[in-house]
Amino acid sequence: MSIDIFWRIPTHGEPRHHRSRTPYRGDWFPGDETRRVPGLGGDGEDGYTYIDYLAEIAHAAEISGFQGGLIPTFPSTEEPWVIAPFLARETKTFRFMIPFQPAFQNPVLVARATASLQRATGGRTLYNIISGGGGPEQLWWGDSVGHDDRYTRTTEFLDVLRGVWKGGPFSYRGKFYQLEDSGLPDPLSREDYPEIYFSGSSDAALASASLHADFYLSWLEPFAQLGEKFDRVKEKTAALGRQIKTAVRVDIIARPTEEEAWREVERGFENIDKAVWERYYASIDSESVGAARQRSFRPTTINSYRDFIIEPNVWSGFALLRGGQTNGIVGSYEQVAERLDQLVQLGAGAFILASTPHLEEAYRVGEEVLPLVRGSVETRLREVA
Amino acid sequence: MTIEFIWQLPVAGDGRYGDARPTRRGERAESARPALSPGVSDPRGDRFNYFDYLHQVARAADLAGFDGIQVPDDPGADESWIVAAYAARATRHVRILTEFPASRGSSVFAAKNAVSFQRFSRGRFAWQIGLGGNEPQRRWYGDPVAEADLLPRIEEFVTVARGVTSGEKFSFAGRFFEVLDGGFEGPLRAYPLPPVYLSGSSEAALALSARVADVHIFDALPVAQLRPAIARLVTLAEQAGRTVAAGLRIDVLARETTREALFDARRVLDQSGTRRQVGDPALGSNHWQGLSSGRNGAAASLFGSYGEVRQRLVEYVEAGIGSFILGAAPHLEEAYRIGELVLPGVRSLVGSERRLAA
Repeated sequence: MSIDIFWRIPTHGEPRHHRSRTPYRGDWFPGDETRRVPGLGGDGEDGYTYIDYLAEIAHAAEISGFQGGLIPTFPSTEEPWVIAPFLARETKTFRFMIPFQPAFQNPVLVARATASLQRATGGRTLYNIISGGGGPEQLWWGDSVGHDDRYTRTTEFLDVLRGVWKGGPFSYRGKFYQLEDSGLPDPLSREDYPEIYFSGSSDAALASASLHADFYLSWLEPFAQLGEKFDRVKEKTAALGRQIKTAVRVDIIARPTEEEAWREVERGFENIDKAVWERYYASIDSESVGAARQRSFRPTTINSYRDFIIEPNVWSGFALLRGGQTNGIVGSYEQVAERLDQLVQLGAGAFILASTPHLEEAYRVGEEVLPLVRGSVETRLREVA
Repeated sequence: MTIEFIWQLPVAGDGRYGDARPTRRGERAESARPALSPGVSDPRGDRFNYFDYLHQVARAADLAGFDGIQVPDDPGADESWIVAAYAARATRHVRILTEFPASRGSSVFAAKNAVSFQRFSRGRFAWQIGLGGNEPQRRWYGDPVAEADLLPRIEEFVTVARGVTSGEKFSFAGRFFEVLDGGFEGPLRAYPLPPVYLSGSSEAALALSARVADVHIFDALPVAQLRPAIARLVTLAEQAGRTVAAGLRIDVLARETTREALFDARRVLDQSGTRRQVGDPALGSNHWQGLSSGRNGAAASLFGSYGEVRQRLVEYVEAGIGSFILGAAPHLEEAYRIGELVLPGVRSLVGSERRLAA
């Protein structure tokens, strides 16, 4: 079984480099809402909007050999359920990975919307199910259900989604959802059920993933620790008589030589805003177990970017450069490919990669790194040997 | 005076002239047997489906001079927001009036998606919030809300969505929706909620529109019967200190002559096979319920020569209707017919120009 490699769509603009925030593509500019970049402003004054830049990235990713891309959603971003149908017709192979919290939409609506998106794209929709970080942000979204109950709801939501998918009649009486004689109409009911990537590091999340996910998706953690986590997920799922694959979501900086890659990191590190450091040191109020696991890798003293190197080619300061995840891979094209292959050895069956700027880096990674990744054919040969 | 003409997308299927059988043009999966005989090679394979046709209808409306397209919410058809976004990318000028029920989920989430939609379409998204069907349809949808709560829920849905798009921090705890310190920031902040279209003929529905809607859509009625309802809407809106535009959902069957229109109307009726006791078209009013299936939301059709249909539309405008949602099968061909032969005359008679998006 070969591995699947995805790219990412930047849903709140992006700078031209890892190492500085200007110029900034799109009409976001962290800390300065008035900032605009001619032609790439994204606010429609020239007839173009940010969706036109996102279309460029999606085309770059599909031309460069990626499966498609994750389209992240946060309070400050554009929304994937809008981006995907906007770009459906003009892309050919790009698969739209839509992250969403089940709480926010009726499951029958999601089934219909997904089947329609499958029809609009020729079956290129897949999910990244997330169940929310809790705390103030959940109430900002208008959701007041507690942490463990959220996973119960996620499980019920996916029960309903699968129940109505192939047509009806399907009835269900759960704690959160009740429906009668439901089911997708023809021809929506002919579409393939989307692949499900599942995020969440708590026990409640793992239990829900075991029931419904095709891929368990994790951020990059120290390799040994990640391998253990993958083993645990696979054991849990096997105990239920199912099989699950695992996937890693990781930012990368790949350059012709290792020195150039670290130089890029160093320059980015030197340009970090004071405000970013202040946020970094402030405690973060979140129920997310995954986020807490990421924070636990922080260095105790910080003198240079090197203090964030937690193992060869793994740098834990990515969140300081662009927000989002903490750990990423830095190195030469060969080194990055080797590290990805090591993750394959630990059980990874898919990757979501990203690098800034996503347009140019899609071509770089697609042309220079992907051809060096052996994937899982190597795994099978080793098992035979 | 600006009048908007909105063309309906036939999401559940379309038909040909004089053929009442619904078809989904482009849809390969549906027919069990090949479209062409074995002796004729068919190059299409499975490359097309009904989305390709809907795409054409949307562009036809844009090219033929309509101000908008309406994407109905039909449980037997593709989901309206997906169709709307797909159509938005294919068009330049038309408003995308998208129907959905307030049971779709979180109002905050809907509002946030609407912001992206407005940003990508340069402000062309509009909401038509419906009840979500009758009770069995709502159970099908997993919607437990009682009949009496449907309008109050729409009001909360709009209140919350408007609140979080107001640019200020917004908190709300209602019976159906809640939010704490909500609201969108940065570049997402500058986008007001899409225009809200509501409908219904009850006093409660009119009162709700008076409080929260931008447009209230009436079911098709002869203009004389519509006037009191429009007057009531205006009164209620004034009491609420607001203005609400009046809209009309009606199908059209316009031909070069009245005779042709009559002939085509009867043929469609014959072919529908129902032989319903619908009476003859009332030639005086050009207003006929006989062709209405109820499924597409039109309670009646305007039929007649181009001149007659134009004149009837002008009468509606004079009675206070500012927004028309029109439809006719087949929707691609008819979009051009109505756009070329009916709309320009109406616009010039009432002195209204086409609205072009920024």
